[in-house]
Amino acid sequence: MSRTPPEMLQGTVDLLVLRALAWEPMHGYGVSRWLEARSDGVLVVDGAALYQALHRLERRKWVASSWGVSENNRRAKFYRLGRTGAAQLRESTAVWHDYAHAVARVLAPR
Amino acid sequence: MKGPLSFKFPWRSRRQIAAEIEAELAFHLAMRTSELEGRGMTPDAAAAQARTEFGDVEFTRAYCRTQDEAGERSMRWSDRLEGVWYDVRHAVRSLRRTPAFTGIAIFTITLVLGANTAVFSAARAVLLRPLPYGHPDALVAVQIKSVAGYFVGTEGLSPPDYQDYRAQQHSFTDIAAYNGDNSATATWLPTHGDPEVIRTALVTGNMFTVLGATPRAGRALIPGDAAAGAPDVAVVSSPFFDRALGGDPARLGESLIIDGRPTRIVGVMRPEFTLGHHADIWLPLDLSGDLADPGRTRKQHWLNVVGRLRPGTTIDGASRDLSLIGARLAAAYPDADSNHYATPVPLRTWMVGSVGSGLTLLQGSALLVLLIACANLANLTLSRALDRRRDVAVRAALGSGRGRLIRQLLFESILVAVVGGILGIALAYAATRWLLAINANFLPGPYPVAVDGTALAFCAALALGTGFLSGLAPALTVARLDLQQTLREGGRGSSGGRVVERARRALVVAQIALAATLLIGAGLLVRSFRALDAVQLGFAPDHVLTARFSVGGTRYDTAAVVNRFYDQVIGELARTPGVVAVGASDALPTQGSSGSSMRIEGQVNDEANLPNMAYLAIRGDYFQALRVPLLAGRLFTVNDNDSAAAKVAVINEAALHKYFPNGAIGKRIHIGPTATGPAITIVGIIADVHGEGASYPVLPTLFTYHRQQTWESSLSIAIRTRGDPLALTPALRRAVRDADPRVAIHDIATLETVVRESLASRRFALALVTSFAALALVLATVGIYGVLAYLVAGRRREFGVRLALGATRRSVVTLVLRQGLIWTAIGLALGLAGAAAERKLLTTSLYGVSADDPMTWIGVAVVLFAVVTAACLIPAIRATRVDPVVAMRAD
Repeated sequence: MSRTPPEMLQGTVDLLVLRALAWEPMHGYGVSRWLEARSDGVLVVDGAALYQALHRLERRKWVASSWGVSENNRRAKFYRLGRTGAAQLRESTAVWHDYAHAVARVLAPR
Repeated sequence: MKGPLSFKFPWRSRRQIAAEIEAELAFHLAMRTSELEGRGMTPDAAAAQARTEFGDVEFTRAYCRTQDEAGERSMRWSDRLEGVWYDVRHAVRSLRRTPAFTGIAIFTITLVLGANTAVFSAARAVLLRPLPYGHPDALVAVQIKSVAGYFVGTEGLSPPDYQDYRAQQHSFTDIAAYNGDNSATATWLPTHGDPEVIRTALVTGNMFTVLGATPRAGRALIPGDAAAGAPDVAVVSSPFFDRALGGDPARLGESLIIDGRPTRIVGVMRPEFTLGHHADIWLPLDLSGDLADPGRTRKQHWLNVVGRLRPGTTIDGASRDLSLIGARLAAAYPDADSNHYATPVPLRTWMVGSVGSGLTLLQGSALLVLLIACANLANLTLSRALDRRRDVAVRAALGSGRGRLIRQLLFESILVAVVGGILGIALAYAATRWLLAINANFLPGPYPVAVDGTALAFCAALALGTGFLSGLAPALTVARLDLQQTLREGGRGSSGGRVVERARRALVVAQIALAATLLIGAGLLVRSFRALDAVQLGFAPDHVLTARFSVGGTRYDTAAVVNRFYDQVIGELARTPGVVAVGASDALPTQGSSGSSMRIEGQVNDEANLPNMAYLAIRGDYFQALRVPLLAGRLFTVNDNDSAAAKVAVINEAALHKYFPNGAIGKRIHIGPTATGPAITIVGIIADVHGEGASYPVLPTLFTYHRQQTWESSLSIAIRTRGDPLALTPALRRAVRDADPRVAIHDIATLETVVRESLASRRFALALVTSFAALALVLATVGIYGVLAYLVAGRRREFGVRLALGATRRSVVTLVLRQGLIWTAIGLALGLAGAAAERKLLTTSLYGVSADDPMTWIGVAVVLFAVVTAACLIPAIRATRVDPVVAMRAD
């Protein structure tokens, strides 16, 4: 069971959560499952970091929440991407790509 | 799986937030646990594993709560703002649907707030702004209070008294004296152009130090400036400095020709500096001549005295100090100083005088009108709110909170008041500008009347208050209505139930009461004014042209020169076609006089109470010009020359009755308390004239012959004409120019204008108070009409039934009328109580009528009932026109 790398930046978790919700509205557990599946089990965000990110994003009005019913018929809190959140996602994704390319170029063997 | 995401949750409490986070985290752990169990773990192991994976639950819980609570707070605020914005738009929409109501309401508030703000900006300038001196709270005016004798009341100090009080007092750091008011003038001869009359005051050298007033440039006057042989110097006001010396500081120190003497201008005072009246120039006051002859001058009370209290001394302490000195002086000089003593008065109280109580009266009246307008608007708003009852009930049923309903109704009132307030400020600004433009001297001194920040704040506060006052009662009333009942009735109920009825009645009664209070005040002022106007002044003011000459300075220092000037002017005018008679006097009727004590030969005189008469010098055919009849003896003739043996005088009837029980003609008198002056023979008796103005009694008066007594060289001329007196102005100017082109003429006016001017400030206040009262009456009448009309409309069915059952039209009219008249009666009773309260404010402004004059009260009652009856008749007659069939079908 691999843990979230400690140096994983707070902004990165936020970005990943926004990306997950851009797929479709889902509850917190759904976000963690989706991220894990999408990254083939590489990115495992722990619950503490995930829920802190969700409430932080909601406070910024980047995501909105409402209570609904989960696939196994339990009451769950669902999150969806807001309009400002979507804009933020686009911007951060571009920044992240530039950053990742730069890091990759630096690390590449000559 | 999508939730209803657009739905808005109601606001969450802290406990709800905590519970939701708990549930959310529990859901996550439960999901993970069951997933792990599915992979074959035991339940306990799975739960433990899920927890470990999750990380710090405790911290996450706290972190999420902080985030959610902060988010909740900001959401509440934005919800609130959105609510307010919604209410504003709603108010605008609903006001636009009823343009008549909105227009009337805004118009009323504009008028009333404009009046209040304009009066406030004047009242503040006079009553609230700090006086333009250093530490003004320590300054007092010192006045002589006479408790018995020739004159009862307060007056200035005489020069010897001033000197004695100044030397003996212990309460002041110093006291200083000045002489001057709005009628004190001097002549300024500009380098180019005609001589000009300027306003002046004479001040002792220590005056500016006592006041703590520093000049804008140059120096103030100092004690040495009045010394014998000192060069002539003066200090000028800022506006006069601009006019005479171009406002150029480099020209300070130049000389101007004042009263024929080159006078060096050594300083310019700040624009706000004033001694309570308008003045262009302040000259040193030389008292040495008066102090050299205290026997003659101790009774001449012409000095205004200002003192600065020593630190730690109270005004009461100063009062005791001064009355001790007063007792000492009375013992030393029983003739001059009996029955009176000096007393300190706060400087502002003394300076603003009757203008202060006038402004307070005006502000009070304006605020009363505002209250009436509030009551009126409250009633109109109530009617509107009732019309929309169904709308309101539906919204309440749909979950619009009661608080929100109240807020919406309040918002409409406040919106109307705010718009009215903004327009009101514009009106006040225009009104004060206009007032200053038509008469810059409508206040007794250069007080800075301005619609400034403070006036703005005052108006804003009044506007908000008006909005709340006129909106709160209707809002609360409507909110208390049984809304379900309303819905069942279909919003057509009769008139909104008992609550509303009571509110409406109270508002109408309050309006009538306030209007009655104002009407009584205005009625008393009108009656005072008419009493004054009806006073027989004792002369005929029609067809008389008057003017004043400034004759003085070194060129006029002998009687011969003065006599030559007046003989030539009066002679030339008398020969002019259209002139009936020409004469001159040192003061025109209604402009006052000075007084002097005297001794009558052959009578035993009470030394503490010598005969005392007002004292005027006249020449030419003065009494013929004024049409004052000679009752006995003769008037002055050219044969009365200026040799000491031939000095003659005329007295009035009041003097005859008071001092000459055995006849006056041929009696000889001596002016002054000692018998050393030359004897004057009384040669004639003329009828009484109200010399001090209509509101003062006729004083015993002595008229000396100016030809023999020229110490006052500036006279007023009176010319009786056959035609329009003003048509003689060119002839008058020519006559003066022929005699001496350097003499200034001023105050050219008909005698009728002079008389009217003496009542001008009274007339102005009267006009304002009367318009306020009229406005109050109109508002109250509209109010009572509106309520009755609404009542009749709501009870149409009842009236229809009554008429159908055989009620006469008269009985229906009586029914409606009685309602209105009962309200009026209650309001009137309350209004009379209110008038009793305003009595203290009024008494100083009344003449010849007591504050509880029954005629006024009855008159107000009659007017009020007449107007209200007329207003009630319209809805009452409408009630009789109800067609029973239609009225009943309508429901």
